[in-house]
Amino acid sequence: MFTRRDFLKRSSLVALGSSMPAFLGRTAAWAQNSERPGARDTILVVVQLTGGNDGLNTVIPFTDDNYARLRPTLRQPREQIHRITDAIGLHPAMNGLKQVLDDNSLCVVQGVGYPNPSQSHFRSMDIWQAASTSRELNEGWVGKALRHVPAASSFHLANQNEAAPLALTGSPVRVPSITSLQDFQLRLEASGSADRRAQQGIIESAANPTSNQSSSLLDFVQRTAVNTYASSRRLQEIGRTYEPRVPYPASGLANHLRLAAQLIDGGLGARLFYVSIDGFDTHAGQAGTHTNLLREVSDAISAFYRDLAARGHRDRILIMTFSEFGRRARENGSRGTDHGSAAPMFLVGGRVRTGLVGAHPSLTELEDGNLRHHTDFRQVYAAILDRWLGVPSRQVLGQAFEPADVFRQA
Amino acid sequence: MPDTPQAIDPRWAWERYRPTDAAPWDIKRVGHLYRRAAFGASWQELEAALRDGPERTIDNLLRGRADRDADELWTLLSRGTSQANNGEQLPALWLYRMLQSPHPLREKMTLFWHNHFATSNAKVRNAGYMIGQYELSRRHALGSFRTLLQEMSHDPAMMVWLDTTQSRRGQPNENYARELMELFSLGINNIRRPAERNYTEQDIREAARAFTGWSLQNGQAVFRENEHDDGEKNVLGQRGRWQSRDIVRICLEQEATSFFIVRKLFRFLVSETVPATAELLTPLARQFRESDYDFAALVERVLRSNLFFSAQVHRTRIKAPVDFALGIVRGLEGHLEDANPQHRLGTTALASALDGLGQKLFYPPSVAGWDGGRAWLNGQTFLLRQNLALALTSTTDDRFGRRTDPAARVRRHHRGTDAAQVDFFVRLFLQNDVPASARTRITDYMKNAASRSYPAFWTSEDAADHRTRALAHMVLCLPEFQLD
Repeated sequence: MFTRRDFLKRSSLVALGSSMPAFLGRTAAWAQNSERPGARDTILVVVQLTGGNDGLNTVIPFTDDNYARLRPTLRQPREQIHRITDAIGLHPAMNGLKQVLDDNSLCVVQGVGYPNPSQSHFRSMDIWQAASTSRELNEGWVGKALRHVPAASSFHLANQNEAAPLALTGSPVRVPSITSLQDFQLRLEASGSADRRAQQGIIESAANPTSNQSSSLLDFVQRTAVNTYASSRRLQEIGRTYEPRVPYPASGLANHLRLAAQLIDGGLGARLFYVSIDGFDTHAGQAGTHTNLLREVSDAISAFYRDLAARGHRDRILIMTFSEFGRRARENGSRGTDHGSAAPMFLVGGRVRTGLVGAHPSLTELEDGNLRHHTDFRQVYAAILDRWLGVPSRQVLGQAFEPADVFRQA
Repeated sequence: MPDTPQAIDPRWAWERYRPTDAAPWDIKRVGHLYRRAAFGASWQELEAALRDGPERTIDNLLRGRADRDADELWTLLSRGTSQANNGEQLPALWLYRMLQSPHPLREKMTLFWHNHFATSNAKVRNAGYMIGQYELSRRHALGSFRTLLQEMSHDPAMMVWLDTTQSRRGQPNENYARELMELFSLGINNIRRPAERNYTEQDIREAARAFTGWSLQNGQAVFRENEHDDGEKNVLGQRGRWQSRDIVRICLEQEATSFFIVRKLFRFLVSETVPATAELLTPLARQFRESDYDFAALVERVLRSNLFFSAQVHRTRIKAPVDFALGIVRGLEGHLEDANPQHRLGTTALASALDGLGQKLFYPPSVAGWDGGRAWLNGQTFLLRQNLALALTSTTDDRFGRRTDPAARVRRHHRGTDAAQVDFFVRLFLQNDVPASARTRITDYMKNAASRSYPAFWTSEDAADHRTRALAHMVLCLPEFQLD
């Protein structure tokens, strides 16, 4: 039943429209008949590998003798490597992604990096997230992209202890971080429904911005609050239960990706997702840790891909992985690796160019002991922006980058 | 409160605050001091500080009280956690001490150093080492930064965390040398001359050689000459056969270190929004260097300063989860030592709530610590904060029960009428930093609630207590309460 109260509530939402997440202001009525990139309601899921993933032991040039020489203890046994070509293959733990490759939906961009690479985790992560090497970095590339896809909504699927990433800042509305749907609601202790409404009304009205100082911290808290209370109400309406078409492994990343699938399925117009998995800073005793991490990434992405493909979204989704840097070509004395530079990126989805893009960086022509990049990561971003999301990459990246050739021709 | 950047006179900023008609010693300033230099105040503390004035109140905060019973209890508890290697107990253990401590400023500054030398038990996996590092930071929390930085290089938890134990001659591991320069002392960019970098990649590689040769034996750092690279190293322009202590000394000789630490302290104690310009930091950085890195003197200078008590910095930080949660507990007089076990507040449930809010002590997300500031608040953590406030005020949450019952507190402080209760909580939790409209709505809720019908099985006292608890929760849900 539609009451006057509901009407007033909705009117107040409209008045606050500009600080509302997009999914609150629209139904799932998107343009499907246009040929423009992005008009097909494409989805992007960014998976951040935090800590600096060892690219050389992820995508392995197993026939190169220098590989064995540089990695006396960390090298992977040739016969267990999942072949992409006769010379390059995936780490043995990545059978999940191997399946995706066999389904013609895995693209491996090799040798990605940027000029004068920083080997600070924090600086380099900021560079990747902001897509810029300027000294001051305040806005993220996903956040800026969202300005050009106003109808798309976006979610940060957060781990506990994880702040919203720089990549999402600069968006016209704050991207909500969600750990679990169950916890995404305001709890109250009320003597009855009238009391509940009264309390909720007071708490929510206190969130309405009171000053016109849009830069103040109070204003920030209020906007977060308004946005959150409204999102929470809407998210409680979408199904609490979700039946995946394929089993997801029991891991943090898989849980986040399953939540993404649920949100995609929930008809919120959700198109951009950001998730991260930490632990790639393997300075010592790398082998076991790295194997487990790669398995988690590979199995989770594979399950997510297959689940969505089974729901008919195969050609709508794109999953992109990145890390702030790769690692030093030569392993260190602690059976680990120190900070390096160039590394591969994975792109997963029904529309990607299958197999390798670009050569594996040389293992002999190193730069301070690090692999040299031949593809700027912003070329990959440019391809995703221009050809996948339909967002002018130049406006997001600040300059023109030649898009990497990562998508199949339509 | 305005937070638009306006030129602040650095000389005025760090001169001693003296109450004036324009800047009186009032409840707002007392609340501010207790939020920054402790973990919030109880009603009694607010009233006592108002009477005592700033000098004495700050003296008390700086000195703390001796409490041998509390120290002994700590020894006992921490030993148990170490021996069992129970890493999951660590956050609750420290929260307990934060609440119990007769010297909360020391715990607060230890938290500052925990965030600075951010080490996580997720990798260290040794509760004893983590407690050892905590004790090290706590010992020097209001002492010498030079000593702290020197000792930190050979702290067992740090050695495991940043792989010093793995670093040998000919095979140096760069992890510690890098973070020493990037995060613990110099910072990447020069604060006074922003175009300059404070060190090069080559400095890191050379310095890493100086840290070779250290390992752990029975939980103690030991130096093995034959695994140490004793060749010449060139670090930050100084050439010599440097060992680890020389590298730390060289870092401390750089002016950049004083600015880097002072800026971090400014953000922690003073403001996240007022720009920490080089000009504003200069007097503090100079004092810090000239006192040979006396951190206690630096903290004292800041806490007694004009700028610290100015309107410009009032509520210009986002509360960290620890401050949010402990602020409520201290305001509601949650007791750790109560004769009645039903009233005794533990900290395990608080610790697990703080995990959801993004601050699991002893498990920072990375070596850079918690980002803090606006990063604390997102949709999820915001709701979890409101829900934690409910758990603490409602009495129906099993984890907290009646241990922090607002209804019991208003009875203790004799606040009978609706208006007196509104005044009480608004003053206790927000020192009256509430817009008139919100205050009116809350007052109306109390008025209307009195005439609302309640379940037949409630007594009139049940209904009154319910209103009080709802009132406390609503006050804690006001956006102003998120600001530190």
